[in-house]
Amino acid sequence: MGIFSDDRANELRALFFESAAEILQAINEDALRLEKSPRDPDLVRDLRRNVHTLKGDSAACGYKELSEAAHAVEDVMTPEVAERSGEALAGLVLTAADLFDSLLTSFRDGLQPPSTQELRRLIAALQSPQGETKFAPAFHWSERERMLIATIANGQPVYNIALAVDPACPMPSAAAQLVRNTLHEAGTIAAMHPEADVTPPPTLIEVALASDKDVKWLERRAKIPTVVAQVYIERMNLEAVAEPLVSRDVAHSVENGVAKDVAPVAETAQTSAPVLPSATKAAAAQPEVYLPFAPQEIGAAVAERAAVERPRTKEDRVVATENVLRVETERVDKVLDLVGEMIIAKSMMQELMHDMLATLGKGHGALRARGGDILTLQSQIMNKLQRAVMKIRMVPVEQMFRRLPRVARDTAKATGREVNVIIEGGNTDLDKSILDALAEPMLHLLRNAVDHGIESPEQRKMSGKPVEGTIRLNAYHQGNQVVIEIGDDGSGIDLGRVVNKAVSRGIITADQARRMSENDALDLIFTAGLSTSDQVTEISGRGIGMDVVKSVMDRLKGTISVRSVPGQGTTFHLKVPLTLAIIKALLFRVSERLYAVPLGNVLEILRAQEGDLHSVEGQEVLKIREEVVPLIRLSRMHGVSQPQAKLFVVVVSLGDRKCGLVVDRLVGEQELVIKALDETMIASEMVSGASILGDGRVVLVLSISDVVEKLGRGRLHVSGVEASL
Amino acid sequence: MELFPALLRADTMNPVTYLVVDDSVFARKNLARIIESYGGNLAGEAADGVAAIEEYDRTLADIVLMDITMPQMEGIEAAERIVRQHPDARVIMVSSVGYQENIVAALQKGARHFVQKPVKPEMLYEVIKYVLGDSAITAPAAGE
Repeated sequence: MGIFSDDRANELRALFFESAAEILQAINEDALRLEKSPRDPDLVRDLRRNVHTLKGDSAACGYKELSEAAHAVEDVMTPEVAERSGEALAGLVLTAADLFDSLLTSFRDGLQPPSTQELRRLIAALQSPQGETKFAPAFHWSERERMLIATIANGQPVYNIALAVDPACPMPSAAAQLVRNTLHEAGTIAAMHPEADVTPPPTLIEVALASDKDVKWLERRAKIPTVVAQVYIERMNLEAVAEPLVSRDVAHSVENGVAKDVAPVAETAQTSAPVLPSATKAAAAQPEVYLPFAPQEIGAAVAERAAVERPRTKEDRVVATENVLRVETERVDKVLDLVGEMIIAKSMMQELMHDMLATLGKGHGALRARGGDILTLQSQIMNKLQRAVMKIRMVPVEQMFRRLPRVARDTAKATGREVNVIIEGGNTDLDKSILDALAEPMLHLLRNAVDHGIESPEQRKMSGKPVEGTIRLNAYHQGNQVVIEIGDDGSGIDLGRVVNKAVSRGIITADQARRMSENDALDLIFTAGLSTSDQVTEISGRGIGMDVVKSVMDRLKGTISVRSVPGQGTTFHLKVPLTLAIIKALLFRVSERLYAVPLGNVLEILRAQEGDLHSVEGQEVLKIREEVVPLIRLSRMHGVSQPQAKLFVVVVSLGDRKCGLVVDRLVGEQELVIKALDETMIASEMVSGASILGDGRVVLVLSISDVVEKLGRGRLHVSGVEASL
Repeated sequence: MELFPALLRADTMNPVTYLVVDDSVFARKNLARIIESYGGNLAGEAADGVAAIEEYDRTLADIVLMDITMPQMEGIEAAERIVRQHPDARVIMVSSVGYQENIVAALQKGARHFVQKPVKPEMLYEVIKYVLGDSAITAPAAGE
C-alpha cells in the first residue's frame, strides 16, 4: 500500500474517533432523558439509531469488540423492553456508553480493550424479564375524565400512573385502599380506573394524578411494599400537543389587535378535532387532555409555562448533520493568518495605486474613480472574509455545557445526592480554544458543587428545601467578557471553616483573619493547599483543585469570583475575555467619535432634554418612571462637557446597578468582531476593544464597568484630572 | 435470626422506636424479637386498645404495630383515636387473614399500612422502611 492510502486510512480513523465521540455524547444525553421518561418510544428509537451507527462505523474500522457490544445493545433498544424495564434500560445505556468510551480509548491508544462481559450480563437480564404478568397500562380517559384532568391540572404537572397490585398480596381490597390513600397523599386524583370499590378488587389501577412532586418521589411512594408489584409513571405532555394551539391563538389576537374571546376558541376546537381520531397507541401516552374544553384557560397556562420553562436547547440551533463539516482548528487558524497577511497586502496595494495615480498626473478621472471603487470593494470583502473566518472559531458554550449533566448525575449517584442541572445561555458563542481550556475547571467546580455544595436529601428536607438540588449553568456576554456561571442551591461555603483552616495551615495569621473582609475570606478557597472538605472524597479528590482552577483562569486572562450565602448556595462566576468574540453592539457617537457598548447590557434608550436632568449631591441623575438613574456624560472622556438641548440616554446594566450613558447621537446596532487591544495600544482605560466596520471605520468598544468606575460617582471631583486622559 | 441494616431516625440518628400492641404475649415477644433485628427500640407494649392509646401518648413511638382483634378496644378504634390525636402517628395494622374488611376500615381511618400474620420479618422491614420514608435512614451494617 502506498503512503497515500495509509494517510487516507489514518484520516478515516481520526474521523471515526471524532464522530464516535459525538455519537457517545448523543447517547449519553438521550439516556439521561430516558432516565426521566423511561418509556418514551422516540428516545428509544433515537438511541437505537445512534447505537446502530456506532456499530456500523466501528465494524467498518475493524473494531470488533465495540461493534459486537453495540450490536447487543441495539437488540435491546426496543419500545417493548423500555416498556417492561423502565429506568433500568437507561441505566444499561449509560453503562454501555461508559464501556464504549473505554473501548474507544483503548483502540486509540493501542491498549487492551476492557471486557464486555458485564454489559452482556446486564443485557441478558433485561431481555429475560422475571415478571410474566402482562403490564400494559392504556390510560384511556373518557372525555369527561379528560375534562376533569384539565380542570384539576390548572398548571400543575399531571402524571399517568399505573400500579399493578401484587398478585401475592392476600388482601387485594386492602391493597386497593392503601393505593388510594397513597395517591391522595401524593397529589390530587383527577381520574382513576377503576373508580372506587369494585369487586373483584382490581389488579391494575390507573390514575391521572395532578401533583407537584417529581417522578422519582412519586415512583418511590407508589412502590408500596407487599402491595404494589409494578409501577408505571409518565408525565402527561400537556404542552407538546397544545403548543400549536397556543401560538395560533396568540397570532390571532395579535392580528386583530384585540383579543377576541369567542371566535378563536371555536376555531381552535374545530381545527383540532380531526387530530383526535388519528391518535395512535403512541399518542395515547399523551392524552389530548387540552382538546374539547376550556382551551383558552389551558392555553394560557401552557403558554405561561412554555414561556418560563421551555429551555433554549439545541432545537434553537438545529443544524442538519449532513450540512456540518468537520475541520481541524489548525486549518481555520491557517486561513485566519492568511487573511491577516492579505490585509497587509491590501494596504500595500493601496499605496501602490496612490503612487501610480500620482505618476499619471492630473486628469484620468475615470481611472481614479475605478481604482477607488476597486479598493473600497476589496477592503469590504476583506473585512467580511476576516469576520467569516473568525466566526468559524466561535462555538456555542453549549458544546461544553452539554457534557456536564452526565457528570452531575454520576457524581450525584456516587454521593447520594439528587441533582437537577439547568442550562441557560448555551448559545453564547466563545472562542473554541478558550472554551476547551474551561472544560477542566468547570468539571471540577461541578463535582464540587454536587459533592460539597448540595446537601444530602435528608439534610435538604430538614432545612425545608426541595430534596432535589439544583445546579444552574449560565453563560452570557458582559462587556468585553463572557461570563460563565455555575451555581448550586446547597449549603453555601462555611466561611468560619475556611478561615480557620487557612490559619491552621499558616496561610494567613490569626490577626489577618480577624481583619479580613467576607469577600477576602471567600477568596481564600482559591489558595493552594486549602481544601474546605474535611476528607478528600473520591469524587472531588480527583482532577484539579480550586487553586488550579484559579491558575487556569489566570492563564486565560480571566477572573473567577465566588458568591456564597449560607444555607442558600454558592455561585462561581468565571469571566473570560472574548478576544475574538463577536458581539451585538449598540453604536453611537460622542464628540464625533464612534463608540459601541454590548447590546446585551443595554436596557433601554431614552431621549431627554437638558431640563429633565437633576443633580443630587453633585451627581447628575435622570428620573425614569419611578427610578432615579445616575448619568454619565461620555463626552467627558474627551474632556469636554458642553450642555446640549437634546440628549440621548443609553441605560445600561452593570450587575445589579443601572446607569445612563449620555451620548450625542445613535448610529444603530451591529455585530462586531472585537479585537482585543494590546496593552500599549489602549489609549483609554475605558476602552476594552475595537472593531473595524465594513466600511473601514473604527469603532471603540467601551467597557461599561470601567466607564462607570472612572466617570461615575466618587470620581466626579477629580474629573478635571480624569478628563486629561 | 437474620440481621437487617439498622433503621435510624434521619433527624436524630437514634434507633427507631416501636409500640407493639397485641393481646397475645407470644405475638408481642415475636414482634419484639423482629424489631430487635431491625436495630429498633421497643418503647412500649400494650395488650388492648385502651392501653395502646395510653402507651402511645407516653412513648410517641415512631411506629405502632397494631393487632386487629383485642379485648376492651379493638385495633381499628385504637388506631383511629391515636391518629386523630396525633395525625403524624404511623400505625401499621397486623392481622390474620380474614379481617380484610377491618384492614380497609383501619386504612380509611388513617392507618399507614398493613401486614399479615404470621409476620415475615423481611416484609415487615420493607413496610416499615416505606412508612418511615424520608424520616428514617438505614445505618451501614455493623462490620463483623
